Amino acid sequence: MSEKISRRDFLKLASVGAATTAVLTGCGPASRYVQREPYTKMPEYTYNGLSTYYATTCRECAAGCGLIVRTMQGRAIKVEGNPNHPVNLGKTCARGQVTLQGLYNPNRVRGPLKHKRGEALYNEKYEDVASNMKWEDAFQVVADALKSPAEVAFLMGTTSDHLFDFISDLATVTGVPAPIRFGAASMFETRATLSKAAEDLFGQATMPFFDIGNADLVLSFGANFLETWISPVAYNRAYAKMRRGNPKVRGYFVQFESRLSQTAAKADEWIPVPPGSEGQVALAIGRLVAEAKGVTIPGVFESVDVKGVASAIGANVETLENIAQHILAAANPIAVPGGAALGMSNGLSNAEAVLALNALFDNYGKPGGIFISPLSPNEDAYHRPASVQEMSDFIGQMKGGAIKTLFIHGVNPVFELPKSLGFEAALANVGTVISFATFPDETAVQADYVFPDHHGLESWGYQRATGSTLSVLSGAQPVVVPFYDTRSTVDVLIAAMGLTGGQASPFKDEVEFIQSKLANLISQADGSFTAPEINSFSAFFQQHGGWWKTTTDLASPSATDALGTSLEVSASEFAGQGEFFFVPFVSPTLGASGANIPWLQELGDPNTTVMWNTWVEINPHTAEELGIEDDDVVRIVSETGAVEASVYKYPGIRPDTIAMPFGQGHTAYGIYAQGRGVNPADVLGAHFNEAGDLAFAGIKVKVEKTGKKRELARMEGKLGVYGFIEEK
Amino acid sequence: MATELGMPAFTNQSQEEEPVGRWGMVIDQDLCTGCQACVAACSMENNVPIVGEDDASYGRYMHWIRIERLWENTEYPEVKMTQFQPMLCQQCHNAPCEPVCPVYASVHSMSEDLNLQVYNRCVGTRYCGNNCPYQVRSFNWLDYQDERIHPELVSLHNHANPDVTVRRRGVMEKCTFCIQRIHKAEDKAKSEGREVEDGEFTTACAQACPANAITFGRLDDPESGINKLAAANRSRAGHALEELRTLPRITYLAGGV
Repeated sequence: MSEKISRRDFLKLASVGAATTAVLTGCGPASRYVQREPYTKMPEYTYNGLSTYYATTCRECAAGCGLIVRTMQGRAIKVEGNPNHPVNLGKTCARGQVTLQGLYNPNRVRGPLKHKRGEALYNEKYEDVASNMKWEDAFQVVADALKSPAEVAFLMGTTSDHLFDFISDLATVTGVPAPIRFGAASMFETRATLSKAAEDLFGQATMPFFDIGNADLVLSFGANFLETWISPVAYNRAYAKMRRGNPKVRGYFVQFESRLSQTAAKADEWIPVPPGSEGQVALAIGRLVAEAKGVTIPGVFESVDVKGVASAIGANVETLENIAQHILAAANPIAVPGGAALGMSNGLSNAEAVLALNALFDNYGKPGGIFISPLSPNEDAYHRPASVQEMSDFIGQMKGGAIKTLFIHGVNPVFELPKSLGFEAALANVGTVISFATFPDETAVQADYVFPDHHGLESWGYQRATGSTLSVLSGAQPVVVPFYDTRSTVDVLIAAMGLTGGQASPFKDEVEFIQSKLANLISQADGSFTAPEINSFSAFFQQHGGWWKTTTDLASPSATDALGTSLEVSASEFAGQGEFFFVPFVSPTLGASGANIPWLQELGDPNTTVMWNTWVEINPHTAEELGIEDDDVVRIVSETGAVEASVYKYPGIRPDTIAMPFGQGHTAYGIYAQGRGVNPADVLGAHFNEAGDLAFAGIKVKVEKTGKKRELARMEGKLGVYGFIEEK
Repeated sequence: MATELGMPAFTNQSQEEEPVGRWGMVIDQDLCTGCQACVAACSMENNVPIVGEDDASYGRYMHWIRIERLWENTEYPEVKMTQFQPMLCQQCHNAPCEPVCPVYASVHSMSEDLNLQVYNRCVGTRYCGNNCPYQVRSFNWLDYQDERIHPELVSLHNHANPDVTVRRRGVMEKCTFCIQRIHKAEDKAKSEGREVEDGEFTTACAQACPANAITFGRLDDPESGINKLAAANRSRAGHALEELRTLPRITYLAGGV
């Protein structure tokens, strides 16, 4: 040691010398899991600041962003984005950042257990119930169910694509029905409508890709692409590129939506249209553009009455003409359908009207236009999640007693589906309910057995990413050793297959199964890496966080006569007798399933700054007419139910509309979620659009005063909290 | 401006010439979508506690960075929200929080040109928080991280960042520009016998931001990313409350234009 370096400096330098930021991988079976060491057993060679980094895939939503997780002594410390991953390029959303609080959540299912339906999975002090089974017995329970394959059903969430593939293969081998996938996020994204509209217009039932990043004018008809829609990180990046990517032109952005959502707040113009009128508006704009261009009005826009549309949305014709002028001046305009505009009885025609507008812009398959999302490297076809109508049919099967054993993984239908569909009641006709839930959610509470799967950060797997221009298979590997006595569901099924006495699984474990699904990628050209054989390939797959093509696979929608065919956009139907349109939306901070994460609860909603609870957005003028103040509790009554929540007087909403975030209102799901807020799905009726998606915004509700008051925690200034009264 | 408001004019007595500073940030409000990823990233990196609904309702939330939004017009249908503005410690050169601390807990780092908060000196007078025009200091009103009071935190504390002190009741805290990351990069550079390069590391908020609205880097390097970004957008650039002459190290680029 040189005299010039102090001891303290020496220690610091020594630690830096040893530290590398290389992303590690588990290569063989021996190193499939890292070890978690207690701090009291800190090995000599570790220094403060020496971390190990693992690449994996985020499972907070189905987008499949790549993560790099910083770990230390086997603990996951910090989530960072994977800079090389094509979906998110090193970025994450808030939900990705706090996925660690799911991993280390105080309430998780700690081991396999048999339990009485309806009984809580933790006590009143929120201490989890202990496991009361051995995994070997759990395997036998699953094996017994699999012995009558025609009478089981698999209900899955939208993440864990490798598990979906495993069960799909199982279905072809043993005759169990193909798995059904569902998620509240895809319900509010109206994925079935998007895919049906693409089928009608492009001849291909697929997920369209909207190239917002290369557009210079974005017309969004309800698509909340900066919040939770499809692939929020990718669309946030695209938004930034649209605004500032071209130093000469700042992209222009118009949002048509009944409330000023977080996305609408970033728009240059927010046009508050009534729910369900978006398709009409798109047609009117199309007609105005065609007129201004001086071309023959295409058939699709012929029958629209521009003045009628303008007066129906409470705007001047000049407002629409002004937008038409913007379109004429733009080089790459794009129109994006989504969100509440599609969750209407006329949602499909709304989507098709907006896609027809793109045909007029002539942007199919062009930069800044509409493409067909590439399939993932090992994907045969686009498998969209089930629509709510399909879920309703499934519930019908359950009620009819056709399902003896129901396996549920990665989804919480008791909470996520509208109560009026009767999922919880239908469970009574299912002989055995086996949940693979990681968290003690409402559906796990209604199960007979809970055989918990690992948290996403403890799991192997892969996810097919959407939202990228490249074809991406995003890889997941455990970054820590499982925290509790959980098992991978694929491993549970493999073990159970060995006990059925029928066909055993050809795979030893989950990792071997995943390798089998990667095998055909080795020989593919244009990949992000190559390897001579499967062991090296899967080691690279984990180290890089996935495998993707290096050249774009975006396909152009095939030429169709979208403009020639006439399109009837009927007026939307609204169920219920109330005077207000009701617009539920996915909470931008919580997402569909983040209520058990404390830091998501304490993030202020971007628009209202409300934390920790459910609010009702009411226009201040409407509130004044009704004699309602901030924090007054009102009862929202629909045809199917009622919920009570505190009012937030929100200037950015139509006076005839009220809105409420989805995400709270749990009756289980742990200490941070339970008993907090209300669930707007409780007031939604079973009404569908032509594509089978839930018409979640197609209802009308009554607002009743309750005389109660409940303060909302919010970040913005709040006169009145300390007893001062706001003076008018 | 200050005199119009009846305040004594603030004179810069610390140095004759305005120093350029060492670390700085440029925040483009045109790109910020208000998504809260920076808030979540900061809290996970810096062991910022949650306080729960009741304390949050009293304004005791501990966020080191928050997304501000105000209303330009609340009259429907001309409603207009201001552009989302991430607000965090501006690391002022003339920091109003520093001279008011009776125990020298709020001091200036001459080597980094950052405002420091020395937790184990802090006695909780909250003078610094009162004097901060940006309202970005947060005070530990209670022991939010004590496992004896909050047993549910025992498992959550597994993800605590060992590089960052956990604060206790009665201590003021604030954004440090991720000083632990600065030091790590400086140690690495020192061991390699060089200066820290611009872009070698970044803060947790800038690292997470999906829209790339936040950029962190060297202020004293004219060729650094933030200096180029500010220069290229001079017409949109400004400091928060710059009339107070606090010389903030964060430049905001106006949005919507």
